[in-house]
Amino acid sequence: MLPSLNLLLQSILDGIFLGFLYSIMALGLSLVFGVMGIINFAHGDFIMLGSYLVWILANSLRSDPSLMSVITVPLFFVIGAAIYTIIIRPVLGKEPLIQIAVTVGVGYVLQNLALMTFRAEPRAVQISYLNFYVDLGLVSVHAAKLVSAFLSFLIVLGVHYLLTKTWVGLAIRATAYDREVASLMGINVGKIFLLVFGLGIALTGLAASLWMTFGQADPYIGSSFGLLTWVIIALGGLGGVSGLLASSIIVGIIQSLTMTLVSPTVSLAIPYVVFIVVLWFRPQGLFGKG
Amino acid sequence: MVAGASIPFLVGFNQYYILLALQSVIVASIALAWNIIGGYAGQLDLASFAYIGLGGILATMLMMEYNITPWAGMFLGAGISAALAFVIGYPLFRFGIRGVWYALSTAALVVILHEVSIMVLGPFDYYIPLLEGWYYLRFRTWENLYYFSLIVLAFVISLNLYISRSKVGYYLKAIREDEVAAEAVGIDIRKYKLLALMTYASILGFVGYIYIVSQRTFSYNTFSGPQSVYIAIIGIVGGLGSVSGVFTAAIILKIVEEYLRGYLGGALPGLHLLLFGVLLITVGILRPEGLSSLTDTLVKKVKTRIWGGVRE
Amino acid sequence: MMSKRSLKKAISKTMSLVIGLIIVIAVVAGVLIYLTSQPPLTTTTPTTTTKPTIEKVKIGIIEPLTGRYAVFGQEAVDAARLLVDIINNELGGVSSLGGAKLELYVEDAGTSPDSAALAAERLISNYRPHVILGAYISRLTAAVAEVTEREKIPLVMDALVDWLTEKGWNYVFRLAPRASTHGKAAVDFVLEMAKKTNMTIRTVVVLHEDSIFGTTVANGVRSQLIAKGVIPNETITYAYTITDFGPIISKIRDLNPDVIFSVPYFSDGILFAKALQASGIKVKFIAGAGGCGYTDPDSIREAGEAVEYFTNTYSYNPARQTEWNKRIVQAFQQKYGKLPTEAAGIIFYSLMFVYEGLEKAGQMFPEDPLNPDNLRAAFLSLDLNDSNSIAAQLYPTGRVKLASNGENLHGGTAILQVIGGQPKVVWPEAEEGVTPVFPRP
Repeated sequence: MLPSLNLLLQSILDGIFLGFLYSIMALGLSLVFGVMGIINFAHGDFIMLGSYLVWILANSLRSDPSLMSVITVPLFFVIGAAIYTIIIRPVLGKEPLIQIAVTVGVGYVLQNLALMTFRAEPRAVQISYLNFYVDLGLVSVHAAKLVSAFLSFLIVLGVHYLLTKTWVGLAIRATAYDREVASLMGINVGKIFLLVFGLGIALTGLAASLWMTFGQADPYIGSSFGLLTWVIIALGGLGGVSGLLASSIIVGIIQSLTMTLVSPTVSLAIPYVVFIVVLWFRPQGLFGKG
Repeated sequence: MVAGASIPFLVGFNQYYILLALQSVIVASIALAWNIIGGYAGQLDLASFAYIGLGGILATMLMMEYNITPWAGMFLGAGISAALAFVIGYPLFRFGIRGVWYALSTAALVVILHEVSIMVLGPFDYYIPLLEGWYYLRFRTWENLYYFSLIVLAFVISLNLYISRSKVGYYLKAIREDEVAAEAVGIDIRKYKLLALMTYASILGFVGYIYIVSQRTFSYNTFSGPQSVYIAIIGIVGGLGSVSGVFTAAIILKIVEEYLRGYLGGALPGLHLLLFGVLLITVGILRPEGLSSLTDTLVKKVKTRIWGGVRE
Repeated sequence: MMSKRSLKKAISKTMSLVIGLIIVIAVVAGVLIYLTSQPPLTTTTPTTTTKPTIEKVKIGIIEPLTGRYAVFGQEAVDAARLLVDIINNELGGVSSLGGAKLELYVEDAGTSPDSAALAAERLISNYRPHVILGAYISRLTAAVAEVTEREKIPLVMDALVDWLTEKGWNYVFRLAPRASTHGKAAVDFVLEMAKKTNMTIRTVVVLHEDSIFGTTVANGVRSQLIAKGVIPNETITYAYTITDFGPIISKIRDLNPDVIFSVPYFSDGILFAKALQASGIKVKFIAGAGGCGYTDPDSIREAGEAVEYFTNTYSYNPARQTEWNKRIVQAFQQKYGKLPTEAAGIIFYSLMFVYEGLEKAGQMFPEDPLNPDNLRAAFLSLDLNDSNSIAAQLYPTGRVKLASNGENLHGGTAILQVIGGQPKVVWPEAEEGVTPVFPRP
């Protein structure tokens, strides 16, 4: 069945929007990994946690989910800082397997906490101001997705600005580059780690509220987001924001195209195949100490 | 060993307990196989059920379609899983993929197999027909399968111990400690990692049929990512590289899971998994050696009692 | 490593292995001899010449109470408790067995065949129930059925996948309409309505979640469509964990179907309905099939207006106007504060059927009514309709008669439609004062 041009364009557009949202999810992870070398396996599950939180807040305050980010972002920053202090910092010096294992444990705890509290049925918010399509002739644009994509883009730019044009950003980059030297230069590495981890988690809070404008929350979305963000990072490397954006959009488009042209089932697997292939052929040096 | 074989008598052939024992033994075998790649070689592999599923489904389908006895099928299953391990492992190790990227690749592998199996076979969910007898390794009651699994477990334990005390094991542990240093000393890290991976995969491919038979059905959900993570958790909580620790962890966790299901039921779904998660975090932070510190000393005491004098 | 020590080590290690292996082999051999010289392990109710006094009949129920099917399993257990209460107190127990009361034993099937098998074994070794109901999900039920077949305990299944009655099991029974029947019913309904309203159907899309259940129902839909001369244009499958219907919506817009047949799991149904509504695409009708999603109270609450005028096929008709159906629905609502849906409904008539089967067994085999083969004979002998049976009154088609493989020969569904935010029965007989809305305005 040959796809019509409409369908193709529509699919690509959908993928682009989705990609922008993914970039926010990947950004937090990328920051943490790049600066601290910590692999947060539970990153996706924080998005899941955020989604449930947004669901509760949006429904009880009878408001649009994206506005909930006002609450979730600072809250998640605090949560991130707490997780860092209690769980991450103690394992910083230990072997990578243990570091990963600990975050796997956190993810497990979050998933099952959600399962116990909310049961397994997905939850969707009841009010979403932007849940409509705008017809542009060739394609239709889902307003909520468009706005999410736009906001995501702005935030990514904002973080980029933070990293490149501010003192804090400079400190962060210095620490990422070589933490010993940074420490010698008077940068409080511990504080930087705290800040970065908190920021990483805060971004998941933001991603969650944007996601809930058109998506649903269930205990297992964390795993799919988690793996997806890792695929994005593998593709785009830890270099810069532009690489991240590019790979997020590519992943979004790939997913969308396969879902439309082949089948939704396959679209789950394709990003991972891409992931493995990319891993094979990317020069090892890109991943630093791994 | 003897204790294991005598369990059916002790519980008066109560099918419930035998089934529980069977499932525990299977999990223990899988976790101990994982120990080879995770505990000895230090790679966080999250694809155990990819290999179990592949080998097991192959053996089962050969039996269902062509009436080929699983005694052959299991070895074929081991072979195909080892082949998959090679196909995946060779490039991964050759390109120096390790740590989290390795873990993620293996996680991705399970998902890929899950989806591919749906694509190739449609959403399948097969029930294994009751063809009884040792030829099919399929029975109405659970004891015979249990005895067979005990033998398999004994083999896996012996293999673990053998590796641990052999030259291969020595190299693997060196790789786990510090890969770069190991390579500098001249150890071919790629070769040994691949060896560990393929050994682990073949055991899983073999055990796959036993696992599926104990479930009576198999479907695309046999390729389960969460289950694979669960195995890795057991391996870590038990203590990386500790046979007694991993064995104990597997048995205890399975019993706790069943206990919670039996007595709490639907009251708090996922509670046992939650506890495991907390356990994993605690172990990671406070006691990375896991249960091994406890179990190893216990084993030493028993050994001293039996053999007289500490060995090694 | 010194060679002498390592040699000694090697020898003693091999020694211990060999000894261990010998012991294991000896034990296994001993056990086999023991087994073959013993009478069979399973016990059957001893036959006596005098009529036994039975004080209670033990009914086991195994349902998934954890995991993603917990919501269904929980409802099934709730329904069972209510029914046992009614049977014991209002109906006075099983009169042909001297007023014996039913006693319910609940076991959680968990989420995997592993746990379901354990549940069955545990239930049986602890309590040895006379009849078991369960287990909603096909692979869990299959795991349970193997155990119940071995132990010869009648299993009344509430799982819908077709092949469960096709495995040659002797002691399984199923009243609920099977999955393919659901698919067929959805098609029959739509075609009938189309004829009535003179609507031409050119393009049809079948949308289903890709589990074995979704696929079986969808196959039922497709084969019925083809049998009636309508060729489905496209079949779209998706994993129930789908998070974004965007691309699928795009495809639907491209195809511009008149009717969509959809087999959701639950949450995906909500997501789809909302996505479709947001897209503004005008599909003339959306018919669900398979009993899950769209028209149950939870889905309506979560999806709101998006599911208005959607239909779905149900194994149970909560609005059926028979005396007993109304009574039980009311009782359920009073006790649990919500309307019974699919999961509860199946248990209603299944458990009531067991009760009537027990009555019959008591009459047919006064000496040994609870013998599994006698129970089976009694179950198969029942030919129920609204006037002679409560179970039939609770059943959508009002008729129950089991074939020798345990399947109900009169299996049929009811179709509910969401009208004004409420699920209303529209087919085969519409509720009072209700006319099905077709096509969607």
